[in-house]
Amino acid sequence: MRHPTEGVLRRLIDEPAGVADSDREHISGCPQCLDALAAVREDAAYVGAALATERGASDVDVDAAWQRLTTTAPTKMTGRQVGVSRAGRSRTWLRRPAVAALAVGLVLTGAGAAAANGWLEIFRAEEVAPISIAADDLVALPDLSAFGELELSGEPNVHEVPDAATAEAETGLDVPEVTDLPRGVSGDPMYQVGGKVTATFTFSAERAAEAADKAGTALPPPPPGLDGSSVRLDAGPGVAQTWLSSAGAPALIVGRATAPKAFSSGVPFETVRDYLLSLPGMPENVARQLRTFTADGSTLPLPFPADEVTTSSAKVNGVDATVLETRDKALSAVVWVDDDMVTVVGGSLDDDEVLAVARNLR
Amino acid sequence: MDLSRYGRAAPAAVLAAPGVVAGAVRVRDERTKRVTVSGSTGGAVRADLDEIFRREYPRVVGVAARVLGSRDQAEDVAQEVFLSLGRSSVPAGEAGGWLSVAAAHTALNVLRSGRRRGSREEIVAAAEHTVVSDVADVVVTREERSHVRAALARLPRKQAVALVLRHSGMSYADVAAALDLSPGSVGTTVRRAESALRKELNRHASSD
Repeated sequence: MRHPTEGVLRRLIDEPAGVADSDREHISGCPQCLDALAAVREDAAYVGAALATERGASDVDVDAAWQRLTTTAPTKMTGRQVGVSRAGRSRTWLRRPAVAALAVGLVLTGAGAAAANGWLEIFRAEEVAPISIAADDLVALPDLSAFGELELSGEPNVHEVPDAATAEAETGLDVPEVTDLPRGVSGDPMYQVGGKVTATFTFSAERAAEAADKAGTALPPPPPGLDGSSVRLDAGPGVAQTWLSSAGAPALIVGRATAPKAFSSGVPFETVRDYLLSLPGMPENVARQLRTFTADGSTLPLPFPADEVTTSSAKVNGVDATVLETRDKALSAVVWVDDDMVTVVGGSLDDDEVLAVARNLR
Repeated sequence: MDLSRYGRAAPAAVLAAPGVVAGAVRVRDERTKRVTVSGSTGGAVRADLDEIFRREYPRVVGVAARVLGSRDQAEDVAQEVFLSLGRSSVPAGEAGGWLSVAAAHTALNVLRSGRRRGSREEIVAAAEHTVVSDVADVVVTREERSHVRAALARLPRKQAVALVLRHSGMSYADVAAALDLSPGSVGTTVRRAESALRKELNRHASSD
């Protein structure tokens, strides 16, 4: 009889029952086949060991992974995977769920008022996953904790609630009602709420000087009275409604939150802000947007790379609003502040569609 | 609403290997059809995604981790693959095989495109998870693994996928069904892959 093939020998190692009796009998009595079997077995064991990973998949956190799939932008994962060129990252970043996901973050945690890092810390502290989009650009901001003390209080505790009534009860906000869904968006939204959070940053000239020294640059001279003075940033509560696309990513997000506000002790907020903006390492595009901050929470910084997003102005029921659109027209959002409330409508829609949704909110 | 751009990026899996396997091609056709449908209607996520996800997620991560050697990256790949499944109309009964094949392809694409983290980072990450008794041994193993993965990326795609699926615990029958091979040829395909990888390692060993 002919010797069985190496494929048969290979199967014999894994699934002896899958090998014909005649083959098995032959192999067991054939020194040549037994030698070949040993070599096949050794290669299989070796490759198996080489392909094994230190951390198997048996203890993966399926719940967390599911949460990520349903609530976060896939940007994060692809961003990490790509993680090579800055240009590549930006493109990935701009996939449609990104801005929509950011919008949730903006509203729920009131990113608006935060002087950059208070914002970051809030997100970091609570691991609000959808903010992955912010990571690359915002992590590049100077870490304010190097320039003073950063204290957080309150729990954003962003979580899902079953319906609008529960969302209203938990946040005390009127949940905007969408009267007409844009074409291509259907079904019921998912409701998420977040509580009020406060971040207090106390500037320390000593620490700031040390940090600047480490960075090899001189600290710009702080304005008189800044040392030891604090800035308080209040954000939330907020509520977001998300309609998912067929891919499980946000197709439309409508969010509302108490407008974020900044307060300062001693030195006017604008002075603190401008000084912070002058610190080395602040990306110019973010700095430019932060300069629009005011102490009354009436404007929002929109940390999108200027070369990726176009902004324009529009009116939503008589109120000035900012419309953002990615240059490839994949994503749009409209944000406005009215009566101490900030509202955002965003998604994988065009600007006319988000404006239509915004103007018809009840 | 145009969802196609999003869709293009996610399922790299099945598209990456032109004319790979009839099984994969069939799946691709179904998915493409579905994408067209969802692109015009914005249809909902398939209702059984949650159930399939919970059942298959660890296995999908396991498949990708064998290719990439990094669980974090494997979880990224798994997310990508489930997003693709979510917009597909792959029958629930075939989802397990579809996901495994897609995970293997996607992970191999990552491997092949050199999108993995640098070896230094990998070593640091591995060190965090390994109780090291003999540093030299670990370094050797890591080098060998690195060679195996480099060789894996160069294998004919069908061999590489079959190898990874088999080493992820799929039966010969399931590998055959998923790749549209005859059950008898799975052993041959896997064996060829292992033999090629082993030769690659021996080549490195002798050149050291």
